[in-house]
Order: sequence, then C-alpha cells, then structure tokens
Amino acid sequence: MLSQAADSLYWMARYLERAENQARLLDVSLNMAMIDTPEDREAQLAVPLEIAGTRELYDACYQELTPKNLVQCMVLDRNYPDSTYNLIRKARENAHHVRGNLSADVWESINSAWLEIQDFSQGDVTEFNASWLSDWTRERSHLFRGAAYGTMLRNDAFLFLRLGTFIERANNTARTIDVRFTQASLPEHEKDARGFFEWTALLHSLAAFEAYQNLYGHNLQPLNILELLILGRDVPRSLQACMKEIVELLGQIDGPRGRSAKRLANSLHANLRYGDHTYIADRGVEEYLKDFIHRVDRIAHEMQRSYMEGQA
Amino acid sequence: MQLKAPAPHLYDELFTANGDVRPHYQFIAQWLQAAEEKRMAEKHREANALFRRSGITFNVYGDTEGTDRLIPFDLIPRILSASDWELLQAGLRQRVNALNRFVHDIYHEHEIIRAGIIPAEHVFANAQYQPVMQNLKVPRNLYAHIAGIDIIRHSDGQFYVLEDNLRCPSGVSYMLENRKMMMRLFPELFAELPVAPVDHYPVLLAETLKAASLKPDPEVVLLTPGRFNSAYFEHAFLARQMGIELVEGADLFVRDGKVFMRTTAGPRQVDVIYRRIDDDYLDPLMLNPDSTLGVPGLCAAYRAGNVVLTNAMGTGVADDKSIYPYVPDMVRFYLGEEPLLKNVPTWQCRKEDDCKYVLENLADLVVKETQGAGGYGMLIGPVASKAEIAHFRQAIRARPDNYIAQPTLSLSTCPTFVNSGIAPRHLDLRPFVLSGKKVQMVAGGLTRVALEEGSLVVNSSQGGGTKDTWIMER
Repeated sequence: MLSQAADSLYWMARYLERAENQARLLDVSLNMAMIDTPEDREAQLAVPLEIAGTRELYDACYQELTPKNLVQCMVLDRNYPDSTYNLIRKARENAHHVRGNLSADVWESINSAWLEIQDFSQGDVTEFNASWLSDWTRERSHLFRGAAYGTMLRNDAFLFLRLGTFIERANNTARTIDVRFTQASLPEHEKDARGFFEWTALLHSLAAFEAYQNLYGHNLQPLNILELLILGRDVPRSLQACMKEIVELLGQIDGPRGRSAKRLANSLHANLRYGDHTYIADRGVEEYLKDFIHRVDRIAHEMQRSYMEGQA
Repeated sequence: MQLKAPAPHLYDELFTANGDVRPHYQFIAQWLQAAEEKRMAEKHREANALFRRSGITFNVYGDTEGTDRLIPFDLIPRILSASDWELLQAGLRQRVNALNRFVHDIYHEHEIIRAGIIPAEHVFANAQYQPVMQNLKVPRNLYAHIAGIDIIRHSDGQFYVLEDNLRCPSGVSYMLENRKMMMRLFPELFAELPVAPVDHYPVLLAETLKAASLKPDPEVVLLTPGRFNSAYFEHAFLARQMGIELVEGADLFVRDGKVFMRTTAGPRQVDVIYRRIDDDYLDPLMLNPDSTLGVPGLCAAYRAGNVVLTNAMGTGVADDKSIYPYVPDMVRFYLGEEPLLKNVPTWQCRKEDDCKYVLENLADLVVKETQGAGGYGMLIGPVASKAEIAHFRQAIRARPDNYIAQPTLSLSTCPTFVNSGIAPRHLDLRPFVLSGKKVQMVAGGLTRVALEEGSLVVNSSQGGGTKDTWIMER
C-alpha cells in the first residue's frame, strides 16, 4: 500500500488509542483525588500529565492543578496537543487522508466523533461530568475498533491501523505502570489503605481490575499485579499482549522491507514471553520499564523509516 | 402536500402545459399529494444527518468559514421517460465520439482546420491547446475517456447541450450517493417504479480506465490534488469503489521515464493515472513550475508512452466555450451524421457582427467567459444589475475573444421542496459518458437544481442543490 497512506492509518489509530487511554487515566486520577488528603491531591492529579510527559506544557497554560483545570485541559483545550478534542481532530484528519482505505463504517465512526465533540463547549465540561466524558471517549474508541474489526478488509491498511493501536498501547501501559508503581511503592504507602488504592488505580488505569480479580481473587499483591500487567498473556493491555500483536502484525506484512523492525519486535517479545518476574525484579521494575519504552520507540522508528517514508 | 403548476411559458418536468401530470410522473405526483409535510421534513433532516455523517461535503472556494458544506439535497426525484433517455443516450454517444475524433485530429492531421470548418487560430491559439500532444499516439485514439455533458430542456421541450466537460468532470459521486439516499429513505418507491439502476457506474469506470492502456492488467491510480480540493470526497469515493489507490503527487515519482508509486513494499509501477488535476499542474518541470500537486517528469513519461493519463492532456481544447459552437459541425464532419442533440445558439464576441449584437442586447443574454467554469465569471442579463451589465460591457470591449453569449434559456422546472412547501425550480442534467473499448453510460446523471425562485444558476458553488435522477426503464 501507499507509504503515506500507511502513515496516516497508523497515526489515526495511535491518536484514537491515546484518547481512550487518557480518558481512563483522567477518570482514575479524579477519583483518586477525591479520596486523597489535600496534600496528596495534587500528586494524584499530576499522574496523567506525568505519564504523557506534559506537565510543563500544562503549567505554562494553567496556574493551578485543580480537578476543574485538569479536565478543561485534557478534554477540550485547543492549545493542549493531547486534549481529547485535538486527538480526535488529528485522528479525523488522518482518516480523511485515507478515506479511500477505510470502510464507510470506520470513517463514519471517526467523523461522527469529530462532529460530536465540536458541539461540546468548555462550559459543559467540569470535573463533575468528567466520568461521562471519559465514557463517551472510550465508547467512541470501542466503536472505531468494532467497526474496524467488523468491516475492514484484512489487508495492509488493516495491519498498519492495528500496529498504530498496539504501539501506542504498549507505550501507554509501560508509562502508566512506571508512574503508578512509583506512587504505590512509596514506603509510607506500603502497609496502609493508601497502598491498596494506589494498586487498584493502576489496574483501573489499564482496564485490568476485573481481570486481576478473576485470576487472583481479592488479594492485591504487587508482585501479582506486575506479573499480570507486564507478562500476562491474556490481558489485552499487558506488555506481552501488545508485543505479541505487534510481532504478528509485522509478520503479516509481505516484502523485503522492515527487517530491523521485525527483528527488534521479535526479540522484545521473546524477552517477555520467556521472562519471569524474578528477571524483572533483578533488573528493577523502573529500569526494566525504561528499557522497554526505549525499545518500543525504536521499533516504531524503524517501522516508520522502512514502510512509511516511501523511499524510492 | 399541494403541487403547484408552474408558469405556463415554462416547460415543467412533471406538469404538461395544460396542467396535467405527465405519464411517467403519475405515481410520484400521487405520492407527493398524499405525503405529509411533517414526515417529509423528517426525511429531509434524516438525509442531511446521513450526508454529514458520511462526510459527503463540498468545499467552496473563496469561503473562509465553511470548509465543509453540504450540497442541498432535494427529495423529489427528477424523472425522465424511457424515450427521452433513448434520444439522450444516442445523442451523447454521437457527440462524445465526434469530440474524441476532433481532439485526435487537431493533434495529428488537422483535417477539420484544413477543410475550413474551424479557423486555425481558434485551436492553436487556445490556452488549452498543448503543443506537446502533437503527433503523440495515445491508446485507441481516446482522449476524453470520461465526459460530463451538461444538458438542459428548453421551453420548447427539446434538449440542448449547454456545455461539454472533458477535463475532470465531477459530480458523479453525488449521482450515486443521491440514489443510495433515496433507496434508504423511500424503498417503497423503488418497489413500485422501474427505475434504471446506476450503482454499477464504478464498474464501468474501472473497465474504461483499464481499457485506456493496452497492457493486459494495468495498474490504475486516481491522482487527487488532496484533501483540500472541493471534490476530494468524490476522489476518495471513486478510488474506494473501484479498489484502486488514491494518490497525491508526492506518492508518485518518475524514474527511467516510468512512473512509480511509493508503497510500503517499495516502488510499484503505475500504468494509468485517472487524474483529477488540471493539465497545468501535472508536471512542475514542463508546465506550472509552482505546482506542488504534480509529479516532476510526468510529462516525459507520458510522451514516452509509459503511462496513460485519463483524460489525456490537451483535451480541454474541445470543451472550451469558443470551440463549443463548432461541435455540431464536428459530428457532421467526422461521422457524416446529423447531430441528435442541439447546441444552444451562440454568439462569439470575437466576430465583429456577433459582438455588436451582444453589446446591444446584454440585458437579454447570458454572457460567459470562454475559459470560465463552475458558474464563475458569468452574466445573466435579465436578472443582472445595471452595474454588472456595465462591468461586462467594458470587459467584452477590452477582450472580445474572451466571451461568448447565448440567449437566456428557460431551463425546465421540476417540483422541489422549498420553505413554503413544494414549488417549481429550474434544473439541468449532467450525464457521464465513458469511452473505452466502447462508449458506455449508466442510465442517469447528476441533476442540479437552482433553489432560489426564478434562478437559473444550478452550480453547487453558487448555492445550487441536487436531486436523484430517475430514468424509467419502460
């Protein structure tokens, strides 16, 4: 398929996945901030910004980190590049470019999201209906995914779209574990109820709370949680699950290109598939995650270079 | 709802001059009379919501606000009887054949010029004439693979060709989407009436594009100026329907005189380019050096016969308004037949006598720029202000050969939904004619309707709307 089209499909899916992940992170942070002491509240609210690496950007526009401001910023702010508004706008622009490669259902799911979000006004958006907005965003993302699964031809367009989803997701999961893990493992949180909520927040941020209960029951053990989110084969947002998809998708792209992306992805996947928690513990969770993020970025970079830049 | 018969001096598609309903409109007339206004308004809202959701929008040049605007869609179909269509079809086939012969001739032997039928300067001094096309052999001698011919019905009940569009005629996606919309909103009508289908148009178009190359299974792409073009929706729509790549200039490159597209699997050669950008923008090396839309080296590849352009370069000469008056003569000259479709009588301001007549009768005439398109740069005498007429008088005096004039035709009317209910509005018809191994067309076309009372300007860029066009199979 056309290199430029592959690029647009890939970014379209990345932006939508990012919107979904952010909606979840924002929702969790607002909930956590409500139960927190005033001193800890700001730290909670900063979590989504830290995960996205946009704290400075936020501070440049808003004086205080309050629930209201955070919601305003992350949902409709035209100047914040990763606001839901801007993510859907960018997804729609990319979709418009590859209109010819999308099924009508996929296009309409994105186009109608864009039409709807333009009708939301800043005045309507507060910390009190943020949950509703988060639901809306996640539903739009589910609708897009469902339409893509249900109606798109299984060709390269579909593969690049899916690659966008999983590269973004792998990145997001790793960053979320990183930031939330640091919060949860502060010594003063180890034994009290706070610690419990922190771990719950991590699971909720990655839509894995129910999966955890299903597998491990109510007993929240940090080691189990990390095992599930990093090595778990059957949780859709774990690092291993993301890498498994990326490897499979890359493997289906025919042609001589993309060897280095494929090689890097396979090696990272093998590392997770045959790794265990002692290996991670030995390296240190933070160190491990930092390395993972770096390697995913390289895979993305290699993909971009060999498929999407369209060298003659 | 109430149907109103139009003014008696006009031709109405639904009513005869006596106020009777024409036979092929009987069913729809009854259906409209039985329809409730509230339900129709609901259906209309539903149509708009569906069009907007699927992104069937139109960018209007010179409008900074609404980048995406809906073309107003009218729910009352424009219906043509089987016998009307039979005449149109034969006439269109004849006309497009003659036009293709003409383009071939002016880039080869110039027989029509040597025979003294068309003055040489009309052709060779024409801005659309492309010297690079001289003696270039194109497969099957075809130039206008896709033609959109604008037709109106005058008050005498006869069809007249208003304009031949041979460069990048657009609008066919609206023909297809309007039909889809009507079938969705009113399936019951299609169960009752023998409406000829149009949805196989993309199949015929794909066939035509493949036939433009002599290779057995050519790689065909659609070249668009990009997302900000007014017809981008149509480009994407057609590419998707035909299963071909939609490319922009930057997706293509030329190497060793061949054209390739940049793909995820490396370069892939392209054999046929269905280009929806004008000649001038195709190749910055040969034509407009400022163009960022085209592909450097494309002209050389074309000249070398390594790629086919549809429509061919230089085809625009034949749809120029200064050549238009000669089309009936072309039919006689190349085919030895009498034209089945009439031309609108045209005064050419380049001729002294014609110019004099035009200047004296500006208030009654329609004046057009020979190179204008889309309803821009046009004077409609009977509705123009004094200032507009004065402006055109000056412009014609300064550059007489830039203008032609025609009598103000009374375009036929058809019942149309308006704020006050249903009222007659003027319309035209653009059928699409495809020339490949044979000349083909689907029974239908794009009907454009002027929504303002009394207005004769149907162009969507000037606030016109569209209707679904039904050809009765019997």
